[in-house]
Order: sequence, then C-alpha cells, then structure tokens
Amino acid sequence: MATALIYAEYKDGKIKKITHELIAEAARSGCEPVAFLAGAGVEALAKDLGAMGAKRVILVQGDALKFYSNEAYGKAFVEAVKSVNPAIILMGASAQGKDLAPRVAATLGIGLASDCTKVKIEGDKLKCTRPIYAGKALADVEFAGSGPQFATVRPNALSVGALQEDASAAVTNQPLDASALKSVVKDVVRGATAKLDVTEANIVVSGGRAMKNSENFALLEALSAVLPNSAVGASRAAVDAGYRPHSYQVGQTGKVVSPTLYIACGISGAIQHLAGMRTSKVIVAINKDPEAPIFQLADYGIVGDLFEVVPLLTEEFKKVLGEH
Amino acid sequence: MNIYVCIKQVPATETKIKINASGTGIDTTGIKWIMSPYDEFAVEEALRVREKNAGSTVTVVSAGPQRATETIRTALAMGCDNAIWVETPEETDSFQAAKALAAVIKKEAQPDLIFTGKQAIDDDCAQVSQLLATFLEIPYVTVALNAEYGAGTVTVKREVEGGTTEIIAMPTPCLIAAQKGMNEPRFASLPNIMKAKKKEIKQYKMADLGVTDADRKIKLVNMTLPAGKQAGKKITGDAKAQAQELARLLHTEAKVI
Amino acid sequence: MPVLSFVFIAVFLAANAFFAYRVSILLRLIKATHGPVWSGTRFDRIPERVLTVVMNVLGQRAVLKKRGAGIMHATIFWGFLIITLETMENFGYELHPGFTFEFIGPTLFSGLVALQDFFTLAVLCAVLYAFYRRLIVRPEGLGKSNDAIIILSLTGSLMISLFLMRAFHMVSQPNWYDNYQFFSSFLSRNLLEPMALSPEAAGNISSVFRWVHHFLVLGFLCYIPASKHLHVLTAGPNTFFRNLEPTKGMRKVNLEDETVTSFGMSKITDMSWKDTLDLFACTECGRCQDACPAHNTQKPLSPKAIIADLKDILYHNKTAILAGKSDEVGPVLGTKVTDDVIWACTSCRACEVACPVFIEQTDKIYEIRRNMVLMESRFPPELQTVFKNVENNFSPWAMSPDDRDKWATEPDDLQVKTMAALAASGEQVEYLFWVGCAGSFDDRNKKVSRALVSVLRKAGIKFAILGKEEKCTGDPVRRMGNEYLAQSLIQENVNKLNEYKVKKVVTACPHCFNAIKNEWKDFGGTFEVVHHTQLIGKLIKEGKLKPTKGTEQKITYHDSCYIGRWNQEYEAPRAILDSLPMAKVQEMEKNSANGMCCGAGGGRMWMEETIGTRVNIKRTEQALATNASTIAANCPFCMTMLTDGIKSKDMAEKVKVVDIAELIDQATI
Repeated sequence: MATALIYAEYKDGKIKKITHELIAEAARSGCEPVAFLAGAGVEALAKDLGAMGAKRVILVQGDALKFYSNEAYGKAFVEAVKSVNPAIILMGASAQGKDLAPRVAATLGIGLASDCTKVKIEGDKLKCTRPIYAGKALADVEFAGSGPQFATVRPNALSVGALQEDASAAVTNQPLDASALKSVVKDVVRGATAKLDVTEANIVVSGGRAMKNSENFALLEALSAVLPNSAVGASRAAVDAGYRPHSYQVGQTGKVVSPTLYIACGISGAIQHLAGMRTSKVIVAINKDPEAPIFQLADYGIVGDLFEVVPLLTEEFKKVLGEH
Repeated sequence: MNIYVCIKQVPATETKIKINASGTGIDTTGIKWIMSPYDEFAVEEALRVREKNAGSTVTVVSAGPQRATETIRTALAMGCDNAIWVETPEETDSFQAAKALAAVIKKEAQPDLIFTGKQAIDDDCAQVSQLLATFLEIPYVTVALNAEYGAGTVTVKREVEGGTTEIIAMPTPCLIAAQKGMNEPRFASLPNIMKAKKKEIKQYKMADLGVTDADRKIKLVNMTLPAGKQAGKKITGDAKAQAQELARLLHTEAKVI
Repeated sequence: MPVLSFVFIAVFLAANAFFAYRVSILLRLIKATHGPVWSGTRFDRIPERVLTVVMNVLGQRAVLKKRGAGIMHATIFWGFLIITLETMENFGYELHPGFTFEFIGPTLFSGLVALQDFFTLAVLCAVLYAFYRRLIVRPEGLGKSNDAIIILSLTGSLMISLFLMRAFHMVSQPNWYDNYQFFSSFLSRNLLEPMALSPEAAGNISSVFRWVHHFLVLGFLCYIPASKHLHVLTAGPNTFFRNLEPTKGMRKVNLEDETVTSFGMSKITDMSWKDTLDLFACTECGRCQDACPAHNTQKPLSPKAIIADLKDILYHNKTAILAGKSDEVGPVLGTKVTDDVIWACTSCRACEVACPVFIEQTDKIYEIRRNMVLMESRFPPELQTVFKNVENNFSPWAMSPDDRDKWATEPDDLQVKTMAALAASGEQVEYLFWVGCAGSFDDRNKKVSRALVSVLRKAGIKFAILGKEEKCTGDPVRRMGNEYLAQSLIQENVNKLNEYKVKKVVTACPHCFNAIKNEWKDFGGTFEVVHHTQLIGKLIKEGKLKPTKGTEQKITYHDSCYIGRWNQEYEAPRAILDSLPMAKVQEMEKNSANGMCCGAGGGRMWMEETIGTRVNIKRTEQALATNASTIAANCPFCMTMLTDGIKSKDMAEKVKVVDIAELIDQATI
C-alpha cells in the first residue's frame, strides 16, 4: 500500500476543508494517508485529522512554528518526507501550499504539479490535471524520474468523506530543528476588519448609475458584508455621477479586477466596464433592461429591480453561508 | 548592489489558446508575446531599488527560446543594465528553468537581491521563484505587496488569503516574488527602446549550465480546452424566487460562495 | 527746408529704426525655431495663397464670420488702409508744406477725401463699439487686456486728431474739396467758425493736431511689435502661409532618424517657423476659446491662452534663443502650459476653424504630447493600459484579437467574407469594410456594423472585411502622443491592405476614416476611402437605396469632428436624413463647422474626465434642447458619449442615439 503524505492546514483552530479533501482522496485511492501537522500547541488537531481518515500524524511543534514560514515549515516537512518516504505528497494550493511546495520540491529534487484541479492516484503514480493560461486550457501532467510524486490541489476540487469521530491516528512526534533560520515573521495582520480594495477581494459587488444615489450603495455594502473577503465597486457612470469615489471604479480607466465572483447591479456593461471585470470567474448581472450587454457576459442573470432583488439576495446568502 | 530580475515571455493576456497538432502544447502561430505581467512589477521594483542605491546594477535574466530575447529587450528598455538569455527548448518545466537560472546567477556576480513575478501567466505554475531561491539557498518571499530595503535586510509584506498579510524580514541575499500592485511599472521611453535594441545580451545554453533532460520532472502528456463557457442562465420568477435560486446556484453549481 | 522738417525726419527715422529693430528680433525668433511644419511646405500654390490673402485679409471674409465684432474689425481695417494714404500725405506735408495728392485729379481726389472722412467717423464709431464690448458687454472669450485698451485709445485718438486737424485746416485755409469731407466740414462750420479764430491761429492749431497724429502714428508703429496688435503685420503673412487644405493628418515623424535626439516639442524652439508666426499672428480675439469644448466645460485648456502662453514662453527665452544657447532654453511645460492643459484637448479643431487668421492650435498641443510620451513617458496613468492593449491586442480595449470578427457571427452568422478568404478563392469585391475597434468590440457599435452590412447588401455592394487581421488604425495612440506605437500599427495595416490590393475602403468610424485617408498615405497606403454616410448618400442618389419605410420622428444630427471639421463633410449625412420619410430634422444651435465635440476625440475616449463638467453632458444638453426623439450620430465614439449623456440625464426612455446606418437600414427594404 502506497503512502500519501498530506500537509495539514488549519485556521482558527480548525483543520481546513482542503486537508480533509486530500486525506479523503488518498484514502479513496487506496493509499495510506499520513498527515503532517506543524505549529505551536496544535496537538489537539491530530485527532481531527484522524477523524478525517489520516492513519498517522507526523507532529512537529515549537515556537519557531508559531507562524507559518516557508523556511521553518519547509525544513520540518522535508524531514517528514525523508522519514515517511511517501509515494505521493499532497498539499492544498492555498497561500501556504503555493508558497511552500516548490521549496520542498527543490530541496528533494523532485517534480511538482501545482494548482491541480483533478488528481488521480493509480498505485504509486499520480496523474494530475491542472489549468494553464488562466484556465483557458487544461494540461494533463505526469511525473518523470524517481522520488515521491508531488502535487498541490485547488480547494473545493475534491469531495470530502464523512468524518469518523471515533477513528484516531497514531501520532509521531518529530523533533524540530530550528537552527539556521534566516527569515523572521514579524507580524501577521488579519485583514478582516479593514476594507478590502476591489482588486484584492475575492468577491466584488458593483453598482452602476441605476443605484441612483450614493446612499443606495448601502444596499450593496450590506450584501458585501455577508460575503467574506468581498468588496464593493462601482461603474464609471456611478463614479462620474458622484455616487462613489474614483478608487472604487472598476473598468478600463479604473481598476481591473478578476475575482471569483462579480455581482454587477444596475450596470449595463459598457465596453469600458467590461474591460475591467470580464475575466472574473463567475459573473452575476442584476439589471432591469433585458437587453443590457452585461447579460451576454453573465453566467447568471436576473432581469429585475435591484432595489427589490439585492436585499432578498443578502438574506438568501446569509442563509446559505450560515449553514457552514 | 547586484540586482537580478528573472522574467518570462508569455503569450499576451487576451490570446485565444489553440492546441497544437501533437496535443501537448499550444499553437504559437500569430501569438503576440509579452513579458509576463507579474514580472513587470519585478523589473520595476528592481529598477527602483537601483535608483535608490548608487552603483547598483540590474541584470535581467530570462530562459526561453530565441523569441524570449524580444522580451529581454523590453526589460532593457525599461532600464535594466545587463541582460542574460538562457536558450531553452519550447517545452521546459519549472525545475529546469529554475536550475538554469540558479546556475547562471552562480556563474555571474554574487546577487544581493533577486526579483521575480509571483507566477508566469502561461503555465501558471508559480514555482520558479521558490525553486530558484532554494537552489541558491537564500530566503524568499512570494506574493510580495511591498518591500522596505534596509542595510542587509529586507522587510516584505506578503498577501495571504482573506485579506490577511504577513510581514517578513529576511537578510540579503534574498528573493522577492512580486504580486500585482507592488508598484506601477514604468513605460519605456522611445530613446530607451532604441538604446535597448543595441545592448548586448549574454547568452547561455542549458547544457553549459548542467541542465539536462533528466531535470525535467513534469511532463505534459495531453492538453485540452475546457468545455466552452455555457450561455448565461437567466433566472426567472419573482424577486424572492430569483434571489433564492441565485444563492443556490452560486453555492452548489458555481461553488463560489 | 524748415527746421521742423528736420525734426520730423529725425523722429520719423528714429521711430522706423526702432520698429525695424523690434521686427528684426521677431524675424530672428522665427528663424531660430527649427521644427518641421506640419503639412506642406507653405511656399507652394502661390496663386491660391494670394487669393486667400485677398479674400481673408483685404476682403475680411474670415473675420466677418462673426457679426458684430467682425463688422467692427473690417471697418477699422478698411479705414486703416484708406486713412494711411492721408497719413502719408501728412508725412509729405512736413517735407514739402502744401503737399497733397490732388494731382490724381479732382474726381478721384474728392472721392478719396470723402472716403477718408467717412472712414474716420466709421473707425471712431467702431472704436466706441469696441470699448462698449470690452468694458460693458465683456464677452468671456475676450478677457481683460490692457493692451487692447491702449490700442483702442490710440486708434480713437488718431481719428480725433485727424478730424481736428482737418477742421482747423478748413478754417485757416478753405479748399475746394472741404465739402467732400462731410463730417470734418460739419465740425468746422458748426463748432469752429463760431469761435472766430484767425486763419493763422487755426492753421497753427491744425498743425499741432497734424503733429499729434504723426506722433500717434509713429508711437503706434513702435508699440505694435510688442503688443497683440502685432497681427497687423503678421495676419497677412500667416494667411498667406496658412494650411490650404481644410483636411489634414498628423505629421509623420521620422523615428528612424538617428541624428534626431528629441521628438515632439519640449522647448519652444522645437516649433516650426510657421508655429512661431502663428503666435505672432494671434490677436487674442477669443473665438477659439469660445468654440473650445474643453474650455467650455471648465478644463484648464484654452486655445487662446495656450497660444498666448507659448508666445510668453518664447519671449521669456528670447535672450537664450537669440544668443544661440539652446541649452539655456527652458521647457515648454511649466506653470502655464501644464499637463492638464495638454491632455484636455479633444482634437476637435473647433479652435482652428474659428480662428480668423488661420492659426493651427492643435498641432502644437499634439507635438507637446508626443514629446511627453515618447521622451518622458509622461501621460495620464490610464493611457498605459491603452498603450498596452493596442500593442498586445491591437485595440484600445482589453479584447482578444481573435474576437474581432465576432460581431459578424454572433448572435447569428451574417456570413461576411474576409479578404483572406477572397484572396484564396480569387473573388473580387469593390470595398473593404473597415470595421474599427469600436465597431468590432463595443456592444452598441457592433449593431451599427451589422446594420451597415445589411445596408450595403441591400444596395448590392460587394465588400469584405479583414476580420481578425484588422488592427487599430493608430488614431487614438497617435493622438495620445505615442507616435512609435501608432507607426508600427499603421505600417502593419498598410502592408496588409496592399497585400490584398485594396483600392476602396468604407468605414463607419470617422477616426479610422481620417487615419486611413489622411495619414496612411505617408506610409505607402493610398486608398479611396469613404465614410459610410458618404457611400450611403451616393447610393440613395443613384437610387440603389430607397428609404421608403417611415416612422414619424424628430431627428437632430450631431456632426462628428472627424467627418465634419477634419474632413469637411457636412452635407452627406444631412442629405440622408432629409431622405427619410416622415422624419423632421431639427438642427442643434451648434452644428456643422460650429458643431460641438462629444468629448471623445484626441484619445479622450480612454481618459478620465475629472475636471469641470463633462463635455458629453454639455453636448447632450444641446441635443435635448431640440426636443428631438432621435439623435443621429455617425461615429462610434459620439455614439458612446451621447448615449452615456442621455442615460445620465435619465432620458434613455425618450431619446435614442442612433447611427445613420441604422436609420437607413430601418427605412429600407
């Protein structure tokens, strides 16, 4: 039975869903899932990893691991790879995974398939599909040479299994070698309270001239408030009309955004606006005019009055997100 | 200071991707080649550091086929002092490219700072920066939003998910992989474009650098185009039903909330 | 000779020497500016040049385009010509007392003195009107000018001194022709005779006023070269050397020339001699400023001010220029000519059309832009996106070149043939339909492209498109100052058209039209280019298109600058609208050559407009004032700007902006 080493990630004292996905996939493919867990005071999470299906947990703890750093975490993870000697290594293509995985690959001299949307484990072989050219094409990749086969996988690409609360994993404590670390994490600033810039947000809710005045943008603020990592934007027409400052403007002459979700409210979709948001992954348009060009680009369109739809949508989003 | 900036030539952002006959790469006919946009931030940052540190030089390095020299000239036109081109075949993976870049930098002047873009927008691997730093055994920060340069140290703010940022201090030499917005890349003036056309580009071959086929760790076996974007769905019904359905679709179908 | 004659000769020569010195400085400044002239050599077509001087200087045609001030100016000008004869006579008098022009014969002479007397009064009235205008009416375009007050006072004094000189002369020494000088003799009879002066005293007083007149004339002469009244010397030459072509393209810069170290205008000496003459010819009448859409929407740009400012900058650097110390000549951009001034221009050329002395204001602005962009990479930040897009995607918008022909295939395939397909099959077509970026990528304007396809087919015109092979014509980036990028696009396009042996081109975009027609010829591309309104107009005339379907509608027509002022086509679009059954056309107050820009030209389509009110809103208000339900446009940018304007006025339900091609498509079967 091939061993799959999975890098466990957590946030706010909870193992992330992506880790569960990876463990579940390894188990489904007949591998023995071994989780790598690093941090300071995180031993309690080992149990959760067991419940997710990990057979073993390699636990590394120490002050040097209080904050994530590619150097300290990378060093510890490479040690774990050497001791576990897995056939497969999986990480989430999260901020951490993306930063860390290449370091591990370079140190071990092995290949890495990054940001995969599909992985298939066949025995000790890993076959991956990864989007390239910003998703305009998909590449099936395989590994050459010997050594573990290593991939980072996009969150939500794989399904999770049911939790087995009674299952537990054998925990192996790995000593931490914190010597010769060069970089220091000075601070981690949680951005939840600060207002995100439209270019940084994962979800952008934008309003156009049909918002009618600046006060009505409160509707969009309310919608944005229920969506994590979101920001409110505006079309040039709305900015020109003085409803919002220029720093909120999405479009060719404003900011170019590419969020996962773009919700255009009362925006007809002039070319200059489209040039600023057309690469968004999913586009929602809410507009009274069924002929508005924005509908040609939208994945989901609602022909209707935004003043009616947006507050209802806020409620519905609350319900959906509240389930988690 | 010896500043290096590593760049990659990629197809222009709006390029329609077509698969070539062998099915393992793209059809390059008619493609407009540009500097990967994140690399522009890296070049700009390198130039700004040079401008603040008299006597510094910026060397641009790029691995790629012959046409990559055009993009090297773009970087020279922006103001880089020296240029190095590593000739590689079309299909080179991140491991090979990084190994070649590391070998070049080891042969050339000892680096103080290396800048890269956080990823190239062609293969979207986002690996070369980290691989290169690791091969050179120097610290790195990826997805850098800004950096402050002190004597022998650099303090970098990097973007993490959810609007969270990390502040990281590293000693030089080190590598910084730029995120969009790190600065406003300059627009080359005509005299600089003209001067760049005449500058010498130093050339290396992969073999000279000890990079072989065995260093290619990832093989692209097949390339496909994703199913075309489906026509947008118009959600009907009264406002309440529309809102309900939209929330459901975004959650379960598009999986974006 | 009497002593006074020597005094007169001394004063006369001194004044003329001083005048000649001042003029020589101006000539040296003209010679010191070394930039190339925009269009033509300006020394060709001499008969036409003489004719335009006769019409516009002697005939005052351009000046008279504006009623009140025009008549005022023409009166002063013609009066000046005729009274100068009397001034000469007076000068002669000092050398040979009793000298007159009577030798020309009694009939001619009586007519001459009558005219002189009439014009003295007319000029005086004109001067009073000018004072009234400057001090009471105070039109915004005139501004405050002490210079003007001095000039007007001088002119008025000249006339009054003449009257008094004549009237007293009549008392001292009556002549047979006195009665022909109606007003002077009226003064003499009714005011002076009752005073019962001795002939000798009256003669002396007359002489005093003659001398006053001499001094005023000579003083005027000395004052002219340093005042805005310099135009009395320069308007003639500036009219002679004017650009005789109403249409023009931007000057091609030889970027390959390695001896050139700087492109565009960074220093005042980078102007051409004609530009400098322009500065000297400006009399600050303010007609350009009144016509300027940027100025009229509170932008810092005024074409009048920029000419005056450039003149100030020229004078400010006079010492360095004349000493040949080019290093010491300061930059043009500064506190007067600012970045905001330079980027506010929409290149509509309303200023140039309004100028009575044919100054070309825009050339200077665009030479400055060239320098800013090419040499300094200095431009509004949003332009970098445009430059990148044009360079990488061949369109100002971030759209894939692969989607350029989608307008023809979606939502349904119109089966429009491409030149490439025709070249393969050997089929011939009459026209290349040049679609342009807006017609290819902008949703609203794609509909115009489709309508034009329908119209051309109805008329049986054979045409094809370039499809994915079409690239931006270079117009926007060229006007944004990026000559380098523009030239590469133009050359690629010209090569492509020549490869397909294209002879005739039709386009619905006035900017593409102007570029292909007036600018590509410098790059080896000579084509017969028609704007779609010209072609449609011709097809209607030939009976190949019959607008028979009518809807009752009131239409107002918006002239695009690049079909109107740049290419002088005002009639064809109007004739089309007149042919529409049941439609009533209502002109806007500002129309044809005086039409107002939509605000999108000169690359402004892609720039933010944060200062003042928006140009498109102002133009939309003018269109709405006609109460028309349809605004007919002929340009994709005007379409966008006016549509946005209508939306922001919340009038989208009542008023539609429609391209003329769409109107014809709806009206024909």
